[in-house]
Amino acid sequence: MSSTRTTAIQTQGLTKRFGDFVAVDSLDLEVEVGTVVSLLGPNGAGKTTTVRMLATLLRPDGGRASVAGHDVVQEAARVRELISLTGQFAALDKHLTARENLVLMARLRGRGHREARRIADQLIERFDVEPFRDRLVKQLSGGERRRVDLAAGLIDRPHVLVLDEPTTGLDPRSRQVVWATVRELVLDGVTLLLTTQYLEEADALADRVVLIDHGREVASGTPAQLKAQVGQQRVDVIAADGAAFDQMLALLDGRFDVKPLREQRMISVAAPEETADLARVAEAVEVSGISVDEIALRRPTLDDAFLALTGHPAQRAEEPEREREEAVV
Amino acid sequence: MTAIAATPSATPQMRPRPLRFGRDTALLTWRSLRSIPRVPERLLDVTIQPIMFILLFLYVFGSAIHVPGISYKDYMFPGIIGQSLAFGVIGAGVATSNDMTEGVIDRFRSLPISRLSIISAQVTSQFCEQLLGMFIVVGLGLALGWDPHLTPAHTVELIGLMVLAIFAFTWCGVLLGMLVRSPDAMQGVGFIVIFPLAFLAGTFVPIAGMAAIPRAIAQWDPISVLVASVRYLTEGVKTGGSWPLDHPELAMALWSLVLMAICVPLALRRFNRTLAA
Repeated sequence: MSSTRTTAIQTQGLTKRFGDFVAVDSLDLEVEVGTVVSLLGPNGAGKTTTVRMLATLLRPDGGRASVAGHDVVQEAARVRELISLTGQFAALDKHLTARENLVLMARLRGRGHREARRIADQLIERFDVEPFRDRLVKQLSGGERRRVDLAAGLIDRPHVLVLDEPTTGLDPRSRQVVWATVRELVLDGVTLLLTTQYLEEADALADRVVLIDHGREVASGTPAQLKAQVGQQRVDVIAADGAAFDQMLALLDGRFDVKPLREQRMISVAAPEETADLARVAEAVEVSGISVDEIALRRPTLDDAFLALTGHPAQRAEEPEREREEAVV
Repeated sequence: MTAIAATPSATPQMRPRPLRFGRDTALLTWRSLRSIPRVPERLLDVTIQPIMFILLFLYVFGSAIHVPGISYKDYMFPGIIGQSLAFGVIGAGVATSNDMTEGVIDRFRSLPISRLSIISAQVTSQFCEQLLGMFIVVGLGLALGWDPHLTPAHTVELIGLMVLAIFAFTWCGVLLGMLVRSPDAMQGVGFIVIFPLAFLAGTFVPIAGMAAIPRAIAQWDPISVLVASVRYLTEGVKTGGSWPLDHPELAMALWSLVLMAICVPLALRRFNRTLAA
């Protein structure tokens, strides 16, 4: 009983195969109520397959999964009342307007006509849909669609909200808007499972990150723990030639925490203060007059994380975009 | 933490199942029909296509076809009706195939609605489209001088038969649309299967003049039977030559029931396997 109260999502040995391809391989996952957990992994890691099983869109081949204590297979109807999935591909009717979509979703969730319109208008205001509320979804930009899509997932306050790669394919500005929206939801106390390919995104939004690859958990922890393992941000300085490299090393060593890489003529400087450190390094180099090819601030990427945590780079397999059973024709 | 968990998600209390099914079907049918004025090309197969065939056969090929005892115009319009119905199967299949691969279907499937309403709404909206197409064809026929000699009893019988046939053919289209991999594949199936059936059917020329094999097909083809029953009810002309064509109305009713007996369970099974799982 107590586990259902604090555990929003739990999977044990969850497995899904498509033919010979094991998309999700004995995955154990736990999301506590009121927390944000991010499933982080490259394309084909099994993120989408996992959330589709949780949302009762795919039947697991092995193991079990439950939402608020309700089994996703045995009690699928109950699970659908508790979970809200906003997928990677906008799940809206493109021939309806943004507002018509929201009204329809509210009506399908059992609301009367007037109540549905009231809810739709509230969501329109909350998600800044007002400027394009009466435009057909097919005419909206990717970022606008994503906002309507997010709103459609929040007709009822879901027990668990699942966002599948909410910012993939969005321009940086739209990504910021989605992040801001997600942060607001989190402040409201929504329980959130978020999948992403971006370490940065998991870092920005999640309490806990589960790194998965080939359908298996590779590592998990708080973003801070993972980043500590992956390594912090660095400023990389590439010298113009071997002589410049030596001069540069003499200049920077001692003043900064440096890691020289002679073959690449690169000196990698730890930059805990990010842009401030970048400015300091750049100034020191400028004053010295040593010739350099490049100075750049580098943030650790998903690839760095994989390299650091698994010892091998992330392998990108193609995940079937929509898993459907074999068609006969 | 507990406060959050205790906050009830404000789902309104659930209605009894049959009511929910009816309501969800109506809502999803509305969403499907709502797009017709916005995507008018969806109706091409039930509007422009029959119009093209009417014009083609009335003013081009028709002059070379002589059917004893009846004007070609009166002979042809029952054929046009049969052919529109057959092509409607392709239209319903393409629409279903298109719709079922849309992301929004996943959204519906993840909602606490009756899952069966997804397919019942698909059939209902396709049925409405086919009916609308039939109104257009009949209206156009009457405007161009088709003169069906209908008694009130025959009118009722014809309407009943047409509604039954359209319903059965819609299920065929929806089933095919769920079996094919893509809307393009549905076009292909339509061209290979439906297109021949629409023409090996006494739609535009009498069956009697056909070679042995096409004639044998045309004597049992459901499209043929449909055309024969419309022709019999409107013009009193019996085609004859096989049991179905000797008893076209009864045969058409039976064909509709047989098609439904095959397509409905298969479509539901397919739906359960792929989308309801």
